[in-house]
Amino acid sequence: MGSTPTYNEQELTSALKAKDQQAFSYLYDHYSGSLYSIILQIVKSPEVASDVLQEVFVNIWRKIESYDPIKGRLFTWMLNISRNASIDMLRSKNYQNSQKNQEITDNVYGGNQATQTNIDGIGLSKFLGKLRPEQRVLIELAYFKGYTHDEIAQIEDIPLGTVKTRIRNALLQLREFLK
Amino acid sequence: MNVQDYILSGIIESYVLGLASPEESAEFERMCAAHHEVLAAREAFEIQLEQGFQLQKLEPPGESKSRIFSELGLEKSPASKIPLAKPKLVPRIGFAKYIAAASLILLVGSVLLNFYLLNQYKKQIAKNDELIAAQTQVASNNQVMQTKLQSYENAISLMQNPLMSIVKMPSVPKSPDASSMATVYWDTHSKDVYLLVNQLPKPLPNKQYQLWAIVNGKPVDAGVFDLEEGFSLMKLKNISNAQAFAITLEKKGGSVNPDLSAMYVMGKVTG
Repeated sequence: MGSTPTYNEQELTSALKAKDQQAFSYLYDHYSGSLYSIILQIVKSPEVASDVLQEVFVNIWRKIESYDPIKGRLFTWMLNISRNASIDMLRSKNYQNSQKNQEITDNVYGGNQATQTNIDGIGLSKFLGKLRPEQRVLIELAYFKGYTHDEIAQIEDIPLGTVKTRIRNALLQLREFLK
Repeated sequence: MNVQDYILSGIIESYVLGLASPEESAEFERMCAAHHEVLAAREAFEIQLEQGFQLQKLEPPGESKSRIFSELGLEKSPASKIPLAKPKLVPRIGFAKYIAAASLILLVGSVLLNFYLLNQYKKQIAKNDELIAAQTQVASNNQVMQTKLQSYENAISLMQNPLMSIVKMPSVPKSPDASSMATVYWDTHSKDVYLLVNQLPKPLPNKQYQLWAIVNGKPVDAGVFDLEEGFSLMKLKNISNAQAFAITLEKKGGSVNPDLSAMYVMGKVTG
């Protein structure tokens, strides 16, 4: 058992495609924190986020063959798997039932804002706080809820073109935010 | 739209974050393949995004990794083996505690048992000493009895001798003690003289009884003797010829001539 090896992007991808368990272990150690962060920002509940994280890494291991480096970096691929899995979880019956229960609990015990506030301070949630309200709503619906532009146009009752423009403008600020 | 405007249109961010429509995505991939600047801009944003996320890590639950590995049927990573080894140490420490406790109990038990056995041993030693003393006493008594029995047997044997002449010596009229009596057993063959004191008073310390043989009217010394406890035949001097025997009380060691005033008993030899 030597020291933990480090990988560059290509080595890591090749090792994972070769089903190298040590590379997978490295991948988990290196990226689980970031992916757990985005999952938690979408599903809000740590218990649910933990389940989604498990599903995400299982899928990374099983579907690594489908990863195409030409279309983007490994982290981008994993980030999108995480976001999609989180949104799928949001739309699942179990999750919606548990959220209803959570709302009842919140009403009874005077709300559960602590978790929300905590998440607002990190990552993309923090970025949301920097946006103008009309932009924030659209990013919230598009990125964190997973609605298509068409769906958002209907929900917000604004033209599809306006939805696209506002979202693009908001995302352009993200580049500045990340600097 | 030229390439630079395309890069700054927000399509890169939309595509990377998964917000672009399928049509937009397909167009963007063609642009990346066709224009190196687009691809470079995309990678720049991806790296920026990854670094931003890496700064905003949230620690997932500790058991998450092992759950994932076990769902996939993979071996646990070397790093996660270390905490797994820890619980093994706990029962070992516990087992050592039990061993230590058991040893202590055994030690205390052993010490107590040793004290008990030592006590028992001392008691047995004392008992044994008593028995040895008692046995010695018995053996000593036995020795005394044996000696006495031997002397009695000797006496009886002498009395049974058919050649033995028995001379009874009753108290003389002028005897200081009228109850006095003695008997001489005289072997007529070997001429040995034995005396049995039936009754004589205890003499003063400076005095001693003396036996006389009367030969042809003259007293002949037959030896001095002390009174012995119990029954015994005392062997005195050989007398070859005598008509009578008598006992007087003389000075210690005996006299050449008897003090006739102190004659206690006398008896004639019959046959």
